[in-house]
Amino acid sequence: MKQTSVVIIGGGATGIGILRDLSMRGVDAVLLERGGLAHGTSSRFHGLLHSGARYAVGDPESARECIEENFIMRRIGKQCVEETEGFFAALPEDDPAFAARWVAACREAGIAAEAVDPEEARRLEPRLSPRVREVYRVPDSCVDGFRLVWHNALSARRYGGEALTYHEVSAIRTEQGRVVGVEARNRMTGETVNIACDYVVNAAGSWSGVVARMAGLDVCVSPDKGTLIVFNHRFTSRVVNRLHKSSDGDIFVPHGSVTIFGTTSTPTDDPADSAPTSEDVVRLLDIGEPLFPDLRSYRILRAFAGTRPLYTPSNASGRAASRNFHIVDHMDEGLRGMASIFGGKLTTYRLMAERMSDLVCRRLGVTTPCRTAEEPIIPDPSPETLERAARSFPAHGVKLVADRLGDAFAEVVGNTAGEADNGMLCECEMVTAAEIEYVARDPDTHSLHDVRLRTRLGMGTCQGTFCTLRAAAALAERHVDFALSPGRDVQNFLQERWRGLRPALWDTQLKESELSRAVYLATLNLDGACREQNN
Amino acid sequence: MSRTTDILVVGSGMAGLAAAIVARSQGKRVALLSRGCGSLNIGSGCVDVLGYIDGRAVAGNPLDALDALPPRHPYRLVGREGVETALGLLREVCARRDAPLNAAATGNRRVPTILGTLKPTWLTLPSFQAERLETAETVLVAGIRGLKDSHPALVTAQLRRYPHPARIRWHETHLENPMPGAHRNLSPLDIARLVETAEGAAWLISGLHKALRATPADLVLLPPVCGLCGTTWKGLAAAVPVPLVEMAALPPGVGGLRLYTALLEELRSLGVDMIENARAVAAECDGGSCRALVAETACGSRRFEARAFVMATGGFMGGGFQSSPGEAREAVFGLPVLQADGAPLPQRPEDWSDKDIFGSHAFASAGVMVNADMQPLRADGAPALNNVFFAGRSVGGYDFAAEKSGNGVAVATAWRAALSACAQC
Repeated sequence: MKQTSVVIIGGGATGIGILRDLSMRGVDAVLLERGGLAHGTSSRFHGLLHSGARYAVGDPESARECIEENFIMRRIGKQCVEETEGFFAALPEDDPAFAARWVAACREAGIAAEAVDPEEARRLEPRLSPRVREVYRVPDSCVDGFRLVWHNALSARRYGGEALTYHEVSAIRTEQGRVVGVEARNRMTGETVNIACDYVVNAAGSWSGVVARMAGLDVCVSPDKGTLIVFNHRFTSRVVNRLHKSSDGDIFVPHGSVTIFGTTSTPTDDPADSAPTSEDVVRLLDIGEPLFPDLRSYRILRAFAGTRPLYTPSNASGRAASRNFHIVDHMDEGLRGMASIFGGKLTTYRLMAERMSDLVCRRLGVTTPCRTAEEPIIPDPSPETLERAARSFPAHGVKLVADRLGDAFAEVVGNTAGEADNGMLCECEMVTAAEIEYVARDPDTHSLHDVRLRTRLGMGTCQGTFCTLRAAAALAERHVDFALSPGRDVQNFLQERWRGLRPALWDTQLKESELSRAVYLATLNLDGACREQNN
Repeated sequence: MSRTTDILVVGSGMAGLAAAIVARSQGKRVALLSRGCGSLNIGSGCVDVLGYIDGRAVAGNPLDALDALPPRHPYRLVGREGVETALGLLREVCARRDAPLNAAATGNRRVPTILGTLKPTWLTLPSFQAERLETAETVLVAGIRGLKDSHPALVTAQLRRYPHPARIRWHETHLENPMPGAHRNLSPLDIARLVETAEGAAWLISGLHKALRATPADLVLLPPVCGLCGTTWKGLAAAVPVPLVEMAALPPGVGGLRLYTALLEELRSLGVDMIENARAVAAECDGGSCRALVAETACGSRRFEARAFVMATGGFMGGGFQSSPGEAREAVFGLPVLQADGAPLPQRPEDWSDKDIFGSHAFASAGVMVNADMQPLRADGAPALNNVFFAGRSVGGYDFAAEKSGNGVAVATAWRAALSACAQC
C-alpha cells in the first residue's frame, strides 16, 4: 500500500495546480488522473486568459479575480501565455446602453478598457467587420492549457509531488466518518492501486459529481457542453470579443498558428460528452459572421467540445450559472478529510489551487504560506543552452521548443548533441525528432496521441496527414515502442483527428480529408494493413 | 474571344490525360484544359484496378472480380471487355514512352510502402515488381539520410507483422545524404531528380554496393528515388547485383510523375492542344447540349467551344465538386453529387461519413451519376446533357481509396467517355 498525506483527484489545471501548491509547501501529495494530464476541460476551451472584462457586468467578483490572476500568470507562466491584448467590439445592432454599463463595470473591477477608434481598430485587425461601431482595448491574452498543466506537473515533480496518469479512482475509503484512503485502477495495466492518505481533494471538474458520490456525497455539479471551432490560420492578432451581454459564439482567440472561436453552452448529463455537432458548428458560423464577415471562407481545421463544471446548488444552468468557483469542505456534511472544488475557469486556476491548499493545510496543521504567485512555474533556460539549441534546432523554433519543454529543454538539447539529423517532423508546429523522442520516452506517454498533447504534433494545418507517419517512423528508428504497433497507433491518431473533422466536413475540410484518404488508404493501404497485420 | 475544337477534355489527372489520348487517337481535334498538374503527381503511379471488395481482398486477376461489384459501379457500366481494352491502350502508350506497365502473373502485386504496409495493385512500372519479395530470403531495406519520410526501421517493424512474409530476414541500412548542403527537407522527388544526373546515379549505385557488401541480401527495398525515366531505371537495375524494388511513398509521388510525364509526351506528339492554368467555371448550355465552357485563365475569362466535352475534373480533392454544409454539387454544370445508390447526400454533415475513419463514408463514393456512355443523368434517369461525358473521380459509385481502384476506374471511364464524345462529332 502506498502512503501519502493528500490524494488529489483530477489532472486538469486545478488539480495539478493544487499538487504544485501543496508540494511547494512541503506537503506529501499524489494526484490521480483517469486519462492523460489536461485531457478534460483544461484542454477543451478557447485558450483565453481572461482580463475579466467579459464578466465585469454580470459577475464582478470573477472579473476582479481574473484581472489579478491574469497579471500573475503573465509573470509566473510566461511560457504558456501569449500577450496579445484583446478587443471588445460592438456592432450597430448591439445595445449601446450595455456598452456604457460595461465600461463603468470594467473601471469598477480595475480592468483597463480603453476606447479605440473603429478605423484604427480595423487597421490593426483588417478582417474585422467595417460595421464595428465601438471598440475597446482590454488586457485579454492567450494561454495554452495543455502546456500550463504540464509545466505545473514538472514544477510539482521538482518539489516531490507525484502525478499518476491513466489511473481511475474506483473507491474512496472511509472509516468512522473519516477518509482513510483511495483505491484506483491503472487503466493501462488493469492493476489496482491502494493509497492510504489523510486527506482527499476532489478536483475532478466535470467529473467531480461522480467522484463525490463515491464518498457517499451528493453535490450539485452540472456539466455544460461548449463547442469550439479551430480555423486554419490566425485571422486576428488579438482576442476579439463581441461587446454585448455574454452569449454563444462571441470570442475569437488567436492561438499559435490557428484561431479558436466559440463557444456554445448546452447542459449535458455526461461529463465526457466531447462530441461536437455540425449544428453547433453552423450555428457558431452564423453568430460569428457579423464580426468577421469572411468567416465562412476560412478553412476549418476541426471542431471540438468540452464540458464546463458548473456549480449549480440553486438550480441555475447554462449562462445564468455562476462561472465562479466554490470550495466545499465535506466536514459540514459529516465526512472529515475531504473537500471538493467546483466551477471556476482556467484563468483563475492558481487562485483556486491556493484557496484549496490553504484549506488542506489548515486541516493538516501546516502553516507554510503559499508561494505560487511569486515563483515562476518554469525556470528560464540558460543562455548557453539556448545557444547550443540554436545549432540543432531551427532558429525560429528554439523559443517554441524551450517554452514547450520547460524543465526538460536542456536535456533534449543535450540529446541532440551527437545527432547528425534532428529532423523537423511537424512543420506546422515546429516539432523536431529529438523533442518527439524525449516526450515519447516519458513513462506517462503511451501513444502518438499522448505525444500530440505535449508537443502539438499534428495540430496544425496538415492535421497529421504528413507528420503522423514521420513521427511513427522516427520513433521506430529510435526503438521507442508503444503497446500498439506503429500502424495501429497512426490509425488511432488519425481517428482522433477525424472525430473533430466530421462535424465540419464540407468545402476545404472535405477536400483535405479526401487527400488524407488518398495518402493513407489509396497509396499506403493502412486500412487493409490494419486488417491483415498482427499488432 | 473563343477557341473551337472537336473535343474539350477538362482535367489533367489520369482520366483527363487518358481521355485526351483516346479521343485524339480517333482522329478528332482535342484540347486539354487543365488547372494544375492533376492528382497523378501525388500518387505512386501504380495502376490499381481492384484490391478489395467490402474489405475482402480480391484474389487472382482483379478483372475476374469486376462482376461481383454493384451494378452502378463504373466498372460494371464500362464492362469487363471495355476495362481490359482501356488498360491495354494505356499499356501500349506507356511502353512506347519508356514507362512500361505490367502485371504479375497470378494476381494483384502487393507493393511495399514506406509505412511498412503492402498495397495491392495491378499494373506497375518495373521498379515496383513486388512479387520478387516472394522468393527473397534476405531483404535489405534502405533509407536515405535527410529523407525524413522514409525510415527502414518502420518498414521492417511493420512488414514483420504480416503473417505471410514472416520467413524473410529483414535488414536495415542508410545511404548517406547525397545533398547535405541543401539545408532543407528532402523528398524522394529531389533524390530522383539527382539520380537523373551521372553524379547522382553514381552516388546511388556505389551506396547500394557498399551497403550490400556490409549486409548481403537477395533484394533491396528503397524509397521511390530511382530516377524519373525508364532508361535511368534500366541503368540502375543493371548496375546493382540484386533486384531493386521501390516502395510507395507520400506525396510528391515520384511514380505518378513518371506516368504523368510519359502521358504528357504522348499528348504532345499527338498534337493535342494544351491549355494550362485554366479553371473551368461555367458552361453555356442550349437545351440538352453544351456549346462552350468558360474558364478563368491567366489572361482573364475565356470561352472554349467544342462539339463534345469530357469532364475529368476530379472529386472533392480535385475541385470537381463544391460543397457546403449538407450539400454538394458538380462545380461546372451544377449537377447534383449523389450517393453510390443514387440517393441525395444526407442533410446532416455528420451523416456524410462514418464514425470510423476507415469505415464506409457516403462522401467517398458520391459523385455524378452516369449511364454506360458516361453521360450525366437527371433524377429521372434520362441524360442531363447529350454531349458531355464524365470520367474518373467525378463519377459516382466507387470508393477509390478503400477499393484501391483509382487509376483503373480513371482509365476505364476515360476510355468510355472519350469514345462516346467521339461518337458525337
